[in-house]
Amino acid sequence: MNAMLRETGIAVAPLAARGLVHSYDGSTVLNGVDLVLPPGSVLGLIGRNGAGKSTLIRAMLGLFKPQGGEATVFGEPALTLSDATKARIAYVPQQPDALAWLTVRQMLDFVGRFYPRWDEAFVQNTLTRWQIPSNKLLAKLSPGERQRVDLIRALASQPELLVLDEPAAALDPFARRELLREVALRGGESGTTVLFSTHIVSDLERVASHIALLQWGKVRLHCSVDETKERYARLWLPAHLGSAAPAHAISQRRHDDGSLSLVVERDAQGQWPRASQLAGARIDVLGLEDLFVAIAA
Amino acid sequence: MDASVLTIQPSASEPIYRQIVEQLRRLIAGGQLAHGELLPSVREVAGFHAINPMTVSRAYGIAESEGLVERLRGKGMAVIATRKSGESESHRLALLESQLQALARQANELELPAASVLRRLTKLLGE
Repeated sequence: MNAMLRETGIAVAPLAARGLVHSYDGSTVLNGVDLVLPPGSVLGLIGRNGAGKSTLIRAMLGLFKPQGGEATVFGEPALTLSDATKARIAYVPQQPDALAWLTVRQMLDFVGRFYPRWDEAFVQNTLTRWQIPSNKLLAKLSPGERQRVDLIRALASQPELLVLDEPAAALDPFARRELLREVALRGGESGTTVLFSTHIVSDLERVASHIALLQWGKVRLHCSVDETKERYARLWLPAHLGSAAPAHAISQRRHDDGSLSLVVERDAQGQWPRASQLAGARIDVLGLEDLFVAIAA
Repeated sequence: MDASVLTIQPSASEPIYRQIVEQLRRLIAGGQLAHGELLPSVREVAGFHAINPMTVSRAYGIAESEGLVERLRGKGMAVIATRKSGESESHRLALLESQLQALARQANELELPAASVLRRLTKLLGE
């Protein structure tokens, strides 16, 4: 029974990775990454520049063969996806470069034919709203425009799995908010599963149901956004209380004056570590951005 | 009620679902939301503020379990709790407790005399 539940749990996950390992030129980028996206979840993937977010995304989609581990998309091995499964996925890379010899309109017409649920009305509306010259060659667009066109392409195909690599980088605040609205509403209603990487944490706080922090080649934190805010905090201890620091802090940083900042977690009873009760100690509840800065520092 | 009535601060340390519940409590306690008034749909709130609909559902679920609103078939969520006279002032004041504590703590950290904080606060309240 257990085995069966586990089997179905993994089989239906739109995206799953187990033990992914990969290194470039001798430096390890992925060092045993496990990550599962349940259907309908919106996972924000964050990490510092060079943490391996793009590599992880590409490995999970089977766009290259990692040195170790395996990835599945809707239960199929990512490296050998069927055409039927590919039609359920939309992926927007950080720097799209496919079909650069076509105009915006030609590319969208061409690609649209491959998708049974292509939303032409959405294409028309969004091209206008995002002010994209549809008769311009893709190769002549700025990187930002190019990525916006690719976002339109991805959303118009009405995918069941939407994967966006740093989508916000190319968008002005207005277009970014529109994209977030699309992501939020699709995630909720049509049950689209979304994976997006970003370093704009406030975007993630709006729409993500879950977050995963990639650091040192591993997923260091993976939980729901609400839970992250309620379960973790920063404990500050003045220098003379340094010896009282709890041993199992998520991260620890000593400041020049000898005081300590630690990221700590509530225990099973919902209590902060005992050191927080000491006179002079302080617990600061953190927003996600501060939490990640504290952990990733 | 329109979705724009709610204020959402994604980067606040308080999770968004709790921000929504808090505001519903305050709006109902303060009488701005009357008995029978319909809340905006989950989709309207999620779309207007570009937030995850599951967050809105969760907030509405909590408001429902607290007896603030009820689910009407085919209509959505309607306000059932109303402002009760009598206990209302202390009850309404209790809803500001955490903000007042934060204000007091920060004023103390800044070593501001109570009188000048109160003077400023009185002015703001009068506006």
